[in-house]
Amino acid sequence: MIHCPNCRHQEPDGAIFCSECGMQLVRLDGQDTQSIRPEPDDFGTAPISSQVVDMANVWISLHLLDNGQILSISDRSEFTLGRISENQPIMPDIDLTPYQAFDHGVSRLHAVIRRTNGSVSVMDLGSSNGTYLNGARLAANAEAPLNHGDILALGKLKAQVILNI
Amino acid sequence: MLPKKPNLYTLLGLFRSAKPDEIRRAYLKSAKKLHPDKNQTAGETELFLDVQQAYQILSDPQRRAAYDATLPPDEVEKGPQSPIECKVEISRQTIPSGNDSQLIYALLRLSTGAEHKQTRVTPPLNVCLALDCSTSMQGSKMEMAQASAIQVLRRLKPDDIFSLVSFGDRAEIAIPATRELDIHRAETRIRMLTTGGGTEMYNGLKTALDEVRRYNSPSAVNHVILLTDGRTYGDEEKCYAEAKIAADEGIGISGMGLGSGWNDVFLDYLANLTGGGTMFVREPLDIERFLSEKFNSLSRAFAQNVEFYTEIAQNVQVNYAFRIQPDAGQLSFQDVTRLGPVFHDEPLTVLFEMRLEEGRQNGQSFQLLKGHLEASIASILAPVPNIPVRIDVTVDDSAEPGGPPQAIVQALSKLTLYRIQEKARLAVESGDYEKATQHLQRLATHLLSQGEKSLARTILLEAQHIEQQKSFTDGGEKQIKYATRSLLMPGEPRL
Repeated sequence: MIHCPNCRHQEPDGAIFCSECGMQLVRLDGQDTQSIRPEPDDFGTAPISSQVVDMANVWISLHLLDNGQILSISDRSEFTLGRISENQPIMPDIDLTPYQAFDHGVSRLHAVIRRTNGSVSVMDLGSSNGTYLNGARLAANAEAPLNHGDILALGKLKAQVILNI
Repeated sequence: MLPKKPNLYTLLGLFRSAKPDEIRRAYLKSAKKLHPDKNQTAGETELFLDVQQAYQILSDPQRRAAYDATLPPDEVEKGPQSPIECKVEISRQTIPSGNDSQLIYALLRLSTGAEHKQTRVTPPLNVCLALDCSTSMQGSKMEMAQASAIQVLRRLKPDDIFSLVSFGDRAEIAIPATRELDIHRAETRIRMLTTGGGTEMYNGLKTALDEVRRYNSPSAVNHVILLTDGRTYGDEEKCYAEAKIAADEGIGISGMGLGSGWNDVFLDYLANLTGGGTMFVREPLDIERFLSEKFNSLSRAFAQNVEFYTEIAQNVQVNYAFRIQPDAGQLSFQDVTRLGPVFHDEPLTVLFEMRLEEGRQNGQSFQLLKGHLEASIASILAPVPNIPVRIDVTVDDSAEPGGPPQAIVQALSKLTLYRIQEKARLAVESGDYEKATQHLQRLATHLLSQGEKSLARTILLEAQHIEQQKSFTDGGEKQIKYATRSLLMPGEPRL
């Protein structure tokens, strides 16, 4: 018998998902996942690398307060923030894994930042640990305006917003 | 030197171990295709005579035994090569000994063989559209259905056979199946269709099947498309019985349910019996898109249907068989399970959940399931070889359990969501609204984390409605069912 760690439902040995709450019960060993997972390019939403950015068109940068690194976005008007996790075909546009996203409580699909007609907004995507704007927690799935200099926190991962529009 | 004559088993696409009923089925299938009345091409008559001779020998136990004795022993296990590639993955190779329940998943993947992928021979269609013309179809539903039927009519190829049956309280043949269809007259007939009466599904289904039967041929795609917006009362069992007969004759059934009032459990099951599927058409405007999609997929199929003949070990139970791709849906698992079509460009994948009970001893090899696949391929004239399938595990207490294959985990991650939806629906039916709400909320959480925001929101609203009104919204349960189902299908537009 396997007990689901999430809802305590009992499943027979060999179960891969909890039939009551849908929790995945089996961890795959990393190697298998690596070899089978499709190239990020296949998704059309490849994580944006911060190195190759056309600086002239950068309209938003996120200044990570922990380590001082700056993530710049130029070529798209909407992007999701999160972390890529094993075994899940979820691909955020920006993968925060290199910035200790997991330890900071960043969800796999945490928030989305969107630019519409010269204004910028942020929306929490129902993340577990919440999105905070200048210290105030945002309601899930509701857009909030984002201004230059705002402090945005995904869980405990804090970044200052630098707008250039 | 003359080319070596294939042995009689290979000729019929059979294995040496074939049972008498397998031999009979293989013979009937190809005899229908190759019969001299239907074919004039050189070579086909010879093939027909060969097939006939093979059957005469193999169907007679004494002559078969005598023939078997003449075969070299090295040919015993070498079966003929199927034009369909088959791959089976299982969630684990070893299981521990003991008497407790063990779950094992198997993923069956069938795809068109490389040499046939390119050819893309499109067999002619022999399709009947059974159109619900009951009073409830009045107005835009009927207008869109008529317009869509006319569109389909105009796109038919010269070899295609199309018929149309309208049904309400009674069924009427609006366009009879014929080789030389007068498109002009047919269009006029479609425009003249009127609505009235209730929905008596059986009459409509039976009449439509009879139209397809008139030209039923293993070299064509024989199919009934049932478009309805309502539910039938009291004749469900008769419909199922009719669908089973149709499946045996090589005729498929697909359902198209329009709006919120139709009975999806009935239509899904009816179509599944033949290996077909059901589509949820929310708005009348969508009829045309779904109908032309259906016609496209009928001609995209390389194998029109694959049948899975199985024997299961005594203490093994197949909890469910679920087609993941194409056209996701639960299959009705029986001694013969109809798996549906294999497309030229898309594999057929089916996931099985098997439960193994007591009596396992260490070191034992355990055969969970044994069987073979029989495919109907309209574009191939010669008998199509059967494919053997075996699923074995070893009972081994010392083995390190490895992780399940990625493909199985991926399929299950979506399928689990579909099944939670089913549980919510059962809970509502049994009056346990608290449980239903809980299931829907869990479902919504998973969907949110996968980025399916609008569906998650719909489901949360539905959960709220159940809490307050003790029921789904009008058509809400169907919307959730078909939307979670569509998550299983790659590239399918979301509802």
